[in-house]
Amino acid sequence: MVGLSVGEKHFIQGGIAQDLRSDGRKRLTYRPIYVETGVIPQAHGSARVRLGATDVIASVKAELGKPSALQPDKGNIAIYVDCSPTAAPMFEGRGGEELSTELSVALQRCLLGGKSGAGAGIDPTSLVVVEGKVCWDLYIDGLVISSDGNLLDALAAAIKAALSNTGIPKVDVAADATSDEQPEVNISDEEFLQFDTSGIPVIVTLTKVGRHYIVDATSEEESQMSSAVSISVNRKGHICGLTKRGGVGLDPSIILDMISVAKHVSEQLINKLDSEIAAAEASEEES
Amino acid sequence: MIGLQLPLSQTQRIRLQRALEKLQSLSCKANSDASVTVADTIPVNYEDAFLKGHGTTDLNGDLVATVCGVVERINKLVYVRALRARYKPEVGDIVVGRVVEVSQKRWRLEINFSLDAILMLSSMNMPDGIQRRRTALDELNMRGIFEENDVVCAEVRNFQHDGSLQLQARSQKYGKLEKGQLLIVDPYLVKKSKQHFHHLEQFGIDLVLGRNGFIWVGEHVEARDSMVVDQANSSEQSMVPEEKNKTHTPLEMRQNICRIANAVRVLSTLGFSIDADLILETVELSSTVKIDIHDMLGSEFHVLVAEREAERRSLVGKRKR
Repeated sequence: MVGLSVGEKHFIQGGIAQDLRSDGRKRLTYRPIYVETGVIPQAHGSARVRLGATDVIASVKAELGKPSALQPDKGNIAIYVDCSPTAAPMFEGRGGEELSTELSVALQRCLLGGKSGAGAGIDPTSLVVVEGKVCWDLYIDGLVISSDGNLLDALAAAIKAALSNTGIPKVDVAADATSDEQPEVNISDEEFLQFDTSGIPVIVTLTKVGRHYIVDATSEEESQMSSAVSISVNRKGHICGLTKRGGVGLDPSIILDMISVAKHVSEQLINKLDSEIAAAEASEEES
Repeated sequence: MIGLQLPLSQTQRIRLQRALEKLQSLSCKANSDASVTVADTIPVNYEDAFLKGHGTTDLNGDLVATVCGVVERINKLVYVRALRARYKPEVGDIVVGRVVEVSQKRWRLEINFSLDAILMLSSMNMPDGIQRRRTALDELNMRGIFEENDVVCAEVRNFQHDGSLQLQARSQKYGKLEKGQLLIVDPYLVKKSKQHFHHLEQFGIDLVLGRNGFIWVGEHVEARDSMVVDQANSSEQSMVPEEKNKTHTPLEMRQNICRIANAVRVLSTLGFSIDADLILETVELSSTVKIDIHDMLGSEFHVLVAEREAERRSLVGKRKR
């Protein structure tokens, strides 16, 4: 990213301390969110989210597969993020791999819960077709087109929008299947089941600069951060995941304070995001 | 403009469309099909002698554009000016750049040109103000004047024979810019004018419109008198950086800086030429409408600015007639 002079850094830190950032936002204000759904027609669901100059696309593809032997009643979900070289020249080749794995792991932790599937934001039991034999495998892919800070929040919003846009084809199972054979399935081309996305959490990233935290940092502000905590909160106000980045250690009381701030901010964010997704779906149907 | 990333409601979209159509009809260019894309034929009277300029080529006897842009005609010269082009420097232009490298006896600045610009140590005033030959000690202390990533304001001195650019910063008004923010817009929006340094007294803010599209908005800094020997001041200044951490820009001035910066962002998104009067009018509009600083970047304010600009230009047009 472009470097900043000492004077500019000082200006940014002063702005955050005085609750007036470079573009006039308060510390806990998000940039305007712009959602478009159905941008990739070949995928089962897709969405593009713009948060200021940050631009990300998420797509969902579903394939029939076999559930794992340990959890026969759950489908499989894989989340993977790729940073495109159009976002920054350093992402070319393998340069973006570190950031991509970091984002993928953070999203998996926030949306998929633990290894046993407990506490997942997305319910995997709704993906099973025939218990133990056939289930849906969901591949959720994220692509970062332009990076101006706060990638995690934008990706989580894009995944939420893409899942609301997802239509999983209806499957008819042949009725005379025996318990040993693989049952025959007929995938419908016409009928689709909508995914239930009311339980999917959003991610709120709080970036600590100096003594204050800000929400939705631009890349200039992120360059000044001492640490950042990303908290995934769902509609009920429950915390679905927590990730901390940055080299500076934090006092536990600060983490608890950040969690309460994130809960407060997430309420507005979830409402705003839901209304934007609904508007995007409506305009997609019109066109 | 087509890629306006704003969520516009239906009424806002209609209002914006109307304002833009009005502006287009008022545009002084007689040919409404002035904008071309690659491989569009440029309408030219082939009987007249004309010169083919940049961005055009002769294809099967037709004059065809090779870049996406606007057709400009100056006397007999026909050329296509690309909109997303890099800055094209002219001698005497005031530019704002960022230091990318400190080399032997020169600084290399990035100014949104195809090459980095060079600022020679000899083209800079020394901190103690005395006109003298630069010694080896001066060369070693270059970082004391400008470091990497510093924002510097300078003037284009000349072009070297290999195409690179040389800058000079001899006057007191040029030099390091601190205590503010740098905005980047398209270079074609900043037209050459008599004054590029604006001291907005009512806000106490310095506004530097660099012709390369880098615009600086910051606190006002008094131009230091170079004749006063700064030996006493230089020791004072070395202590100031620690105090600087405690003294931030006052809140009211910061609000004004943010308002002006957002006004520049709105004008650049809408594609209007940026000059100090227009910026001040936009800031006044935002205070009359009592809009929050951050909401200036919202769709409603963009539509208001477009409408107001259409009004203003139609009034100017009527007055001329």
